Amino acid sequence: MQPEVPDRDYMFPGHVGCPGCGAAIAMRFLLKALGEKTVMVIPACCWSIIAGAYPQSALKIPVLHTAFETGGAVASGVRAALDMKGDTETTVVTWAGDGGTFDIGFQALSGAVERNEDFLYVCYDNEAYMNTGIQRSSSTPYGAWTTTTPGRDWKKMRKKNIVEALVAHRIPYAATASIAFPEDLFRKVAKAKAIKGARFIHIFASCPTGWRIPSEISVKIARMAVQTNIFPLYEVEDGLRYTINFFPKGYLVKEYFRLQGRFKHLTEKDLDQIQSMVEEDWKLLLRKAGLS
Amino acid sequence: MKRVLEGSHSVAEAVRLAKAEVIAAYPITPQTHIVERLSDFCADGSLNARYLRVESEHSAMAALIGASSAGVRTFTATSSQGLALMHEVLHWASGARLPIVLAEVNRALAPGWNIWTDQTDSLAQRDTGWIQLYCETGQEVLDTTLQAFRLAENVSLPVMVVLDAFYLSHTYEPVDVPDQEQVDRFLPPFTPRFMLDTERPCAFNQMAPPDVYMEMRRSIQEGMEEALGRFAEMEDEFKKIFGRSYGAVEPIACEDAEIILVTSGTMSSTCRQLVKELRSRGEKVGILKIKLFRPFPAESIRRRLKTARKAAVIDRNFSFGSGGIFAGEVKAALCDIPERPVVFSFIAGLGGRDVTVGDLENIYMQTKNHDVPQQESIWTGLRPASAPAPDLKR
Amino acid sequence: MSAQHKMKDSIPLFVPHSFRTTESNKTGSWRFLRPRYDEKTAPCSAACPAGEDIGRIEMLTARGLFKEAWETILKENPLPAACGRVCLRPCEKECNRREFDEGIGIRTMERFLADTAARYELKPSLERLSSQNRKMAVVGAGPAGLAAAYFLTRLGYGCDVFESAPEPGGVLRYGIPAYRLPVGVLRAEIEQICGTGFNLYCQKPVTKAFLEEIQSEYDAVFLGCGRSRGVALHIAGEEAGGVEDGLQFLQKVNRGEAPSFFNAQVAVIGGGNTAVDAARTVLRLGGRPLLVYRRRREDMPAFEEEISMALEEGVQLLELWSPLRIEGKGGQYLLTLQQMKTVDTSPGERARVEPVNPQTTQELRVLHVIKAVGLEAAEEWQNPPVAQEGVLLLTNSVIVRGSPVLAYGGDLASRIKSVSHAVASGKEAAIALDILFHKGPDHVLPGLETCRVGNGSSLSMEVYMRGPRCARNRHVVTFSEINTDHFQFAPKVAQPRLLREERVSSFAEIDLRISAGLAMKEAERCFNCGLCNQCDNCRLYCPDLAVVRDNGSGGRSIDYDYCKGCGICVVECPRNAMSLEKEAPPQSRRDRREEKL
Repeated sequence: MQPEVPDRDYMFPGHVGCPGCGAAIAMRFLLKALGEKTVMVIPACCWSIIAGAYPQSALKIPVLHTAFETGGAVASGVRAALDMKGDTETTVVTWAGDGGTFDIGFQALSGAVERNEDFLYVCYDNEAYMNTGIQRSSSTPYGAWTTTTPGRDWKKMRKKNIVEALVAHRIPYAATASIAFPEDLFRKVAKAKAIKGARFIHIFASCPTGWRIPSEISVKIARMAVQTNIFPLYEVEDGLRYTINFFPKGYLVKEYFRLQGRFKHLTEKDLDQIQSMVEEDWKLLLRKAGLS
Repeated sequence: MKRVLEGSHSVAEAVRLAKAEVIAAYPITPQTHIVERLSDFCADGSLNARYLRVESEHSAMAALIGASSAGVRTFTATSSQGLALMHEVLHWASGARLPIVLAEVNRALAPGWNIWTDQTDSLAQRDTGWIQLYCETGQEVLDTTLQAFRLAENVSLPVMVVLDAFYLSHTYEPVDVPDQEQVDRFLPPFTPRFMLDTERPCAFNQMAPPDVYMEMRRSIQEGMEEALGRFAEMEDEFKKIFGRSYGAVEPIACEDAEIILVTSGTMSSTCRQLVKELRSRGEKVGILKIKLFRPFPAESIRRRLKTARKAAVIDRNFSFGSGGIFAGEVKAALCDIPERPVVFSFIAGLGGRDVTVGDLENIYMQTKNHDVPQQESIWTGLRPASAPAPDLKR
Repeated sequence: MSAQHKMKDSIPLFVPHSFRTTESNKTGSWRFLRPRYDEKTAPCSAACPAGEDIGRIEMLTARGLFKEAWETILKENPLPAACGRVCLRPCEKECNRREFDEGIGIRTMERFLADTAARYELKPSLERLSSQNRKMAVVGAGPAGLAAAYFLTRLGYGCDVFESAPEPGGVLRYGIPAYRLPVGVLRAEIEQICGTGFNLYCQKPVTKAFLEEIQSEYDAVFLGCGRSRGVALHIAGEEAGGVEDGLQFLQKVNRGEAPSFFNAQVAVIGGGNTAVDAARTVLRLGGRPLLVYRRRREDMPAFEEEISMALEEGVQLLELWSPLRIEGKGGQYLLTLQQMKTVDTSPGERARVEPVNPQTTQELRVLHVIKAVGLEAAEEWQNPPVAQEGVLLLTNSVIVRGSPVLAYGGDLASRIKSVSHAVASGKEAAIALDILFHKGPDHVLPGLETCRVGNGSSLSMEVYMRGPRCARNRHVVTFSEINTDHFQFAPKVAQPRLLREERVSSFAEIDLRISAGLAMKEAERCFNCGLCNQCDNCRLYCPDLAVVRDNGSGGRSIDYDYCKGCGICVVECPRNAMSLEKEAPPQSRRDRREEKL
């Protein structure tokens, strides 16, 4: 019934996220699980704005806002400094959007995790450059409209599989999580917190504004992404041991796509193709998890 | 203790003595000897620091922004392309008021690939809010690096210690390496003005809307203005402990000079040689060596130059569409005084081309022989275009 | 400017360092949709003739608050031990969970709660209005009469109940076999109800003369006489000695005058519950019962479950045979049956039948014949009058104005004859009388309308007495309004039963008690349609931290200073206990800054 929810919040109301912002929910959940001994690095992303302008901050922890592509590097530096000061208790966490993770920040992220820096990198993924007004990123899924993939030019490339890219670095812990599965998310963050070395959590965070959905279905749509296998929940330890955390009930991707304005141009044929792409990805994941 | 050290190693020795706590760097010729030596220090325990072998210069600076924000003493070194890649985060470091120290080995920017000395890379960063100190000798490199930490922490601004590729970075000179005890007296442990602290949560570098941004920028400028006086005070103390000082600018034989050569970096040494010879021939010539480029010591320069008839600024750099960068700055500093020298702007030694005593004498003679400069910027030692290259396809 | 600690020679710094919270941003001003807590009506409770607050009962049960759950039943129904055994369960047919996996075993839960209360001899604390200056008489201590007395007493009236039988309970006491409703259970329950404070007089045969005699003493008389006379078959020989009436047979057995059948073949004519009960009773008394029914099995009005258990136990069923005549012959009976065929089988309705052509008959030799083809009032005056001036025809009761006011209830006034409808009728009459006395006849119908549960005919006494249930939205929650993402598949609790062999040899109760653990597990399955069970989803998923838990009441409230009106709370509410509506224009907002649950 009721999930085991850490009751304390480390976030204030009055932040300026859009109504129904999935990234705000994701932040709430993350901090509930991490607690106050946390230093957060936020490269440019929606949260650079959501957190509020000077002299305000929506978070009850120290936050270092920083340049777009620096999430991995700045956190490495913070960690190094804390280590030098003998502070091993504080968790250093980078909180970046998909642009700052998949695209411009990928180099710094790859560098940091290759060095196995002792930090947690969390990507809240809303599948486009939302802060700048819904431009395509390498996280934008196949089939999506964005302001830079308009009309017939909707995105015809797959979404980059960031977790697999991180897994390829053989980091101690990589996982996906969703705002619609708080228990799973809390568990993963707590687990990641306890592990030393580079840890990566990819949180699926819906964006009503950019996805062209009514704000009230923000969590529901995130849940559907899991239920349809579009965004499977799984974790990988040491780049080797795959655990799938949720086995869907076999919803069709169509049901997920039909609710979103960003996919409204897709034909039945397109959706069938996407269905088979999703199934292909799922089979691949099952194989990695040793389940096929 | 006197030791024969390569310029790069002088930097490394100073960083060791300064007890930097976090170092992040990415290799680039001709900076490599600095970071290799620092790696040795970290490995053998003579320096207790975390060395982050980051994957780019951009990340090097970013990592230091993180480390410095968390309240530790930080250092990096780079050059040319690397500095250019850092550009964005150089602004970030100064805007965040972080006392990061960077050793910048002047190297030409590509294309074509050129690893030799040229100041355009550092001077192109003049508007990033970094204090810039240019060095002439191995000793000055070591001393300036120590000074840089103190100055940076004093005014909460980052400092760039600039040295010429190869002429300084790869040249061995006898250098007096001070005792740790002396250095500790000059440079106490870093007391951060602010830091990331879970006991006192705060958001750093939050969005600053128009109603506050301008005042924050003004505060950086106030720091820069303050740095001029602080630099002098700091040098006084440095002199007390180490017996050496350099000055924001160094006038050499300027008192009665009719023509003053304005220089920076290792070219100043060549000029010293020339001036010695010219003085022996009775020429009234002096040198004004500029060490501090940002903040620009305009008042000192005005005071030193106003008695001369002519000033010849020799730039190993160029701002396309404008001219030599030092020359432009010097002209701007002088333009408001009624009695001012005629300023000649010479461009010399770009991309590491040797500037000999002869070349400098040529510059002096041109200045002496003309009442006004024949050109806005006089490019010296240009060679005629060579024959067209054979077609690759042939 | 951030307050930095000042070094002696440190220069002033103005840096983008933020130490203040965002709480001064009242983001509630962005809102154009407004979520609010809006508890609605569960379909089970709308379907329950007694209007029980089933969603809440299950919620309390799931938390182990058995007494509170039991009291919640008692607010609407004084007979949970009986209804928890013999109710025809209209609630379970409407359970939204049926569309998910399996419906909730509501009746099983009700019985569990009643039994638990009896076992621990719990005393309910129920709201009761201060005493009124009017006296009520209730005629018949069957479920309707008991309910009427119970509710009238709670409304503050003095109440005298007159029963002709030696013990109260009516059909519950005498008409239903002990294997379905043990006498001890019923006695305990009635004793408990009597604790409400009405007077019960048994062995007081109520006649027309008696009625006239008491007229001056009472302001109103509730008549719940029930149906105690079997309907005639209208065939030759049915008046023959020994052809027994089904209800009278059951009453006899329940009085303890059980005959023995010694393997005798007994024909039971009829297809209703009385017929099935009679057949199973015969079986338990050693006979070989044969149910003779003129239609098909699926047309039998008896509960399907009872029929299947009867067949399982060994009762034989003869479908589509209608008795033509009964002839008594030397201690035996010759039954002539005529074969029938269906002529109209519209789905959902009883088939119409007629004799096959050419006529086909068979003869049946049996030792006993029991006829149970329907029941009616024992005396004509017990029936309510037809529509006329001064007569209010309500759903399950009829009110006749006069002095005293007459209220007809129970089986004779209800379209559907069941225990829960009898309770409904007692409640309806009690409320109607209260309105009549306080506000006058014109207010009765509108007054009843205000305490309807959902869109059906059930009434809620809690709503009538202005309890918390008043705030409930009448909208009946549908399955599509449940957010099933928050529920896991879980099998329904299996009602434990005696084995067939154990059943046929005694009158021991067939359905066994379930454990508290099992009851809680089953109750947890309940969607609690339309009700807040404080699952906390609204607070958990709020991106704006605008849902606040009130630590005192444990409820939730929305902080409209910050709520941006995204509506996630409403969608993520598993049970549709919230609503999203258009925001009012800004000027009227100030009045309702915080709306508490």
